[in-house]
Amino acid sequence: MTSQSVKIGSLELKSPVLTASGCFGYGLEFDDFFDIATLGGICTKGLSLQPRDGNPPHRICETPAGMLNAIGLANVGVEAFCRDKLPTLRQRGVTVIANIFATSIEDFVALAQRLDAETGVAAVELNVSCPNVTHGGIEFGRDAKMAAQVTAAVRAATKLPVWVKMSPEAGDLIGVARACEDAGADAITAINTIRGMVIDIGTMRPKLANATGGLSGPALRPIAVRIVWELAAALKIPVIGIGGITDTRDALEFILAGASAVQVGTASFRDPSSAQTIMKGLATFCEERNCNITDLIGKARRPL
Amino acid sequence: MSVNHSHEDLAPRQLVRTHLLRRESIGNSYHVLTFEAGSGLQPKPGQFTMIRSPEWGQAPLLPRPMSFLSGGPLPSLLVKVCGDGSARLGRAEPGEPFDLLGPLGTAWHTPDPDRRQVLVAGGVGIAPLLFLARSLGKPKKRPILLYGGRTQRDLPLSEDAIDVCDVQVTTEDGSAGHRGRVTDLLAETLGSDTEVFTCGPDRMMAAVARTCVNAGVPCEVSLEAPMACGYGVCLGCAIPAAKGGYIYACVSGPCINARDIDWERTHATFGESSLKVIAK
Repeated sequence: MTSQSVKIGSLELKSPVLTASGCFGYGLEFDDFFDIATLGGICTKGLSLQPRDGNPPHRICETPAGMLNAIGLANVGVEAFCRDKLPTLRQRGVTVIANIFATSIEDFVALAQRLDAETGVAAVELNVSCPNVTHGGIEFGRDAKMAAQVTAAVRAATKLPVWVKMSPEAGDLIGVARACEDAGADAITAINTIRGMVIDIGTMRPKLANATGGLSGPALRPIAVRIVWELAAALKIPVIGIGGITDTRDALEFILAGASAVQVGTASFRDPSSAQTIMKGLATFCEERNCNITDLIGKARRPL
Repeated sequence: MSVNHSHEDLAPRQLVRTHLLRRESIGNSYHVLTFEAGSGLQPKPGQFTMIRSPEWGQAPLLPRPMSFLSGGPLPSLLVKVCGDGSARLGRAEPGEPFDLLGPLGTAWHTPDPDRRQVLVAGGVGIAPLLFLARSLGKPKKRPILLYGGRTQRDLPLSEDAIDVCDVQVTTEDGSAGHRGRVTDLLAETLGSDTEVFTCGPDRMMAAVARTCVNAGVPCEVSLEAPMACGYGVCLGCAIPAAKGGYIYACVSGPCINARDIDWERTHATFGESSLKVIAK
């Protein structure tokens, strides 16, 4: 019997497969499809202190082997999440990673404190990398000093594990990640989307109302695997890989590159059970090779 | 006015792997696709599916939202070719595997037996309305179908509709029926004992909604918006709501009371790109 269990700092996950923030709602939307408590965990839609309506439409459009989105962090707000969603998730034994977003360090701290007061939250994931909002988001993630300040402030405000979700657009990616590690982050999630644009030649305007949107899906994957490879070598804390994972083979690429866990994003849109399928696929892969999943982490790095 | 189906009435959503049974072409741009779904999908009129073939590989990446034209063991869809995904659907051959996620979204409300149903369709928007008309059994009065298209080639299934509706067609170029738009005929068709169901381009539905409000006639619309998932998580299909903020076409719709939509903001935000008839 091989093991799929992985450790992200002090947090033990029963599977390395999580679902990505923004691609899995609050989890309860998947009731018709599968038991989400079997997953390594779910990352919630990015939560802010106040509810947000999000950007005007059009918000999404398809691109070659990918899609752009500019949702604008539409969410129910942290209070409604704690009141309406979390009790059910807790009751079902779901491992909940609360993804949080704010435009100031004070608000990041307030969000972390609010979630710290609840049972049933396994970790917080700081979204310092959203490309689709005017303030906050990526502003914190581009600069090592600012990313470290946010991380340190949240670290001091909660006993929960703190994950930081990186933007691939941070100029000095390793510098930003190391600064977060030094500031007390328990893990780095990499990567968020990369900004892109599509022009509608009929209207002769950008297709998205926000003009730009974040590129996700398989088109992003080689970039994400490369970044995970680089971060895993540079950091002591675990890296959680994300970017265009659609099947077991994709997830394995990230793990072999050095990811201790993976997040499934856009793939859930076209098949709600994608994450479950990948989770089972990884278990089968390990059974067939009689290895634990942890034996595979970073294995692509071994000398020839 | 009758109430909408509550979610408890609707069949659970599932992803069904099936295959194409047959494809019937209507002119160059329209196709009726019929699938073998066994007991897997049980859509009510107005509900939709996200459809994609595993043979598409990674592009087109996402499934396409399509309203059901019929349900039962052999569900069908009406496709208008207008982009990469619909083009692939338009040349699919029998036997090709397809994944259908559904049934999704809200159904049309149950038609009021004491009212006469007026169906207002724009082009490919006929699909969920014909499904509704065929589900009525033997109503006291046959529903009226006002069916508009740019030309006579944009009125697929108009012959089939004659079996279950009193049909009046309009074309913008006058190549069939009344020259002009469906809304030219709507006001005179409405009475205090009618209710309206409409599906078509946003601008058409906005005009239908306005006419119905003025006449004090209930009106339900079938929304369309780009969407990635179809079940409420991608948040791509935002439609400006009358009460402010947005509703999501996939879960609050597609079938929704016309009064719940902010048509001014819908037009302002979607702009010209929403004015063409898109595959429904």
